[in-house]
Amino acid sequence: MKNNKGYHIIILFCLCFLAVANVNAQSDWQAPAEENEKLSPFLFDDDMVLEGRIAYENSCTSCHGTPGQDDFTPMSPPPGDPAAEQFQAQSDGSMFYKIKMGRGTMPKFEDAFADDELWNIVAYIRSFNEDYKQELPNMEGVVIPEYAMSLSFDENVDKLVVKVFAEELPQPEVSVSAYVMGTFGKHLLGKAQTNELGIAYVDVDPTLPGDEEGKVNVMVKATKEFARAKVEKHMVMAKPTERHSAIEGRHIWSTDRMAPIWLKITFFVSVFGVWFALLFIVFGLRNIKKAREEA
Amino acid sequence: MNETIAKGHLSEEQIDKDLLKNVNWGGKFKLWMGFLTVSLIICLYYYYQQLQNGLGVTGLHDYVSWGIYISNFVFFVATSLIGMLVSSVLGMMKVEWVRPVARIAELVALAFAMVAGLIIITDMGRPDRLLNVFIHGRVQSPIVWDIAVVVTYVVISGLLLYIPMLPDIALCRDKLNNVPKWQQKMYRSLSLGWNNTAKQFRLMNRYTRMLLILIIPIALSIHTVTSWLFAMTLRSGWDSPIFGPYFVSGAFVAGCAAVIIAMFFFRNNYKLKEYITADHFDRMGKLLVLVALVYVYFNINEIIVPGYKANTADAKHVHEMLYGHDSVMFWLVQLGGLVIPFLLILFKPMRKPLPLTIIAVVILAGAWFKRVLIVVPTQLAPYYPIQNVPEGWTGYSPTTPEVAITVASFILVVMIITVLAKLFPVVPIWEVKEDMNHKNNK
Repeated sequence: MKNNKGYHIIILFCLCFLAVANVNAQSDWQAPAEENEKLSPFLFDDDMVLEGRIAYENSCTSCHGTPGQDDFTPMSPPPGDPAAEQFQAQSDGSMFYKIKMGRGTMPKFEDAFADDELWNIVAYIRSFNEDYKQELPNMEGVVIPEYAMSLSFDENVDKLVVKVFAEELPQPEVSVSAYVMGTFGKHLLGKAQTNELGIAYVDVDPTLPGDEEGKVNVMVKATKEFARAKVEKHMVMAKPTERHSAIEGRHIWSTDRMAPIWLKITFFVSVFGVWFALLFIVFGLRNIKKAREEA
Repeated sequence: MNETIAKGHLSEEQIDKDLLKNVNWGGKFKLWMGFLTVSLIICLYYYYQQLQNGLGVTGLHDYVSWGIYISNFVFFVATSLIGMLVSSVLGMMKVEWVRPVARIAELVALAFAMVAGLIIITDMGRPDRLLNVFIHGRVQSPIVWDIAVVVTYVVISGLLLYIPMLPDIALCRDKLNNVPKWQQKMYRSLSLGWNNTAKQFRLMNRYTRMLLILIIPIALSIHTVTSWLFAMTLRSGWDSPIFGPYFVSGAFVAGCAAVIIAMFFFRNNYKLKEYITADHFDRMGKLLVLVALVYVYFNINEIIVPGYKANTADAKHVHEMLYGHDSVMFWLVQLGGLVIPFLLILFKPMRKPLPLTIIAVVILAGAWFKRVLIVVPTQLAPYYPIQNVPEGWTGYSPTTPEVAITVASFILVVMIITVLAKLFPVVPIWEVKEDMNHKNNK
């Protein structure tokens, strides 16, 4: 018993130490002052939260767990729950910086996510904080251009051509990301930047399955600083899908009418064959009656 | 020379008298039928309940939708197969000792096959929808095949009982003057003017022979198709390529046992000790040993092959059988209902009429529970776990109406056999006489 007690105390001590060390490890990590004050150019809306959630679930859940559930992976230092107070006490810029740059076991997501996607994740993390009020940058004197986009498909080179305009002027250096919308999510076609003519080219995989006419629903986003635009369009640029009924053709699993021929023949020949023999015998019984007089 | 065919000391008149004796409507018969009728009515009351309230009155649910009704159906189809083995296979091989018991085997076969079809209807909550099988049935479905072969088998069994009985029906027509008028009329029309002419015998033999050949594939397919109702699905415990022969071999075990019980009953009640002799029991016992051995062999295959490979679902199924939830019934059935009885009847004293009949009853009961073991446990182990359902759905136990309706099917079988055995001689008279003449002329 005594030994046991001592053992418990040692464990408790170690745990306390670990906890303190970890808290230190986390609070130690400070984003540079300039980054710390950085503000999101986007207003955190439901759309951003939703996209952030998808990115979070794909890339963050494995260590940080589900926000608010305190089910992060036990590591040292602990990754922590993004919904926790300590996490939410940081500025938006600090979160953005830490996700983007990483440190130690926290990976660097700079190459994985574009800035707007990183802000999506911040928006998602903030959605767990009821007291959060987004701090918006001072927009005085800033003119945000309103983008218009035109989409076309160049079938000679299998490229999606995105032209970005603002008041009929082509807009260079705009980040463009193109997606194909599916039933349960979207598939990233590619990302590009517009050239001096305001045109960006995104590669399209020619084997991409479309509907019967080869149409897919394309969504393109264009972002540059505070400017942001989104457009969706049904475009013929994928491989037409020929739809077949699962019971098309003669199969065991088809309807009765479409039963395999060999089966129909086997079944009906056997059944009618046997019944023919039986009827032959039944009618033959008359012969027994006829044969009652010895010939 | 064995005693089964040595009846030289019996005169033809004596044989006629002995074997026609049972064709009467005595007090004992009325009492027995009265008892059966009352029991049947009680059971039918439960069926009325089921008709009114649907299958909810049974223990069946979304997981175990095939309970003792379908197990019972499989058992009935199995038992009816014996007619084919005894009268066709042994008959065509000219195994002479089976001739006096062949009709009993046919009676058992016909009665069980007739009622088997009815059992399927009891498993339907809406029996009026049976017609849908014929209207919307798919030729790809083993259920459609099963209905086709069951109906065919009933007809063949009926014909195979009837046609070789023609000379005996004629004998009833000629000798039985003290039976009711309708019965005399029935014999007259059923006997087809039988006059013992050579041509009539030739025709009868030809048709019988055709039926004997025809019934072999039909009987094999009736039980193979019944096994396919299970084996054609992807479920652990059913998904087995040897299910057809496994069922057929099991069928012979159940059928032999049923015939032995029927033989014992007729021999004692109808005083047929001269015709159904101890030697018949001895030989039926040996036949039972043979078919039981084949069945044990298939049982070993059914367990050891999936158990050795132990893919997850099959391993679980085998484990449940050998040590788990179903192990008590499994070992009772395998050891008590198959292996021990089979070892016992290896010894000659155990093949005497009474001990053999007792063993046959045990084997028949084991055979019934064996069908439950084949049908039910698989359904309780679906590939997707049973979740978020009423607690009762994780198991299965039959309710009173279910048991009563199952008992009703047995009562019906006994009634059919009883009535047929009262209308016609149970031992083929002309064949016994023929045997005797044959022996005397040697």
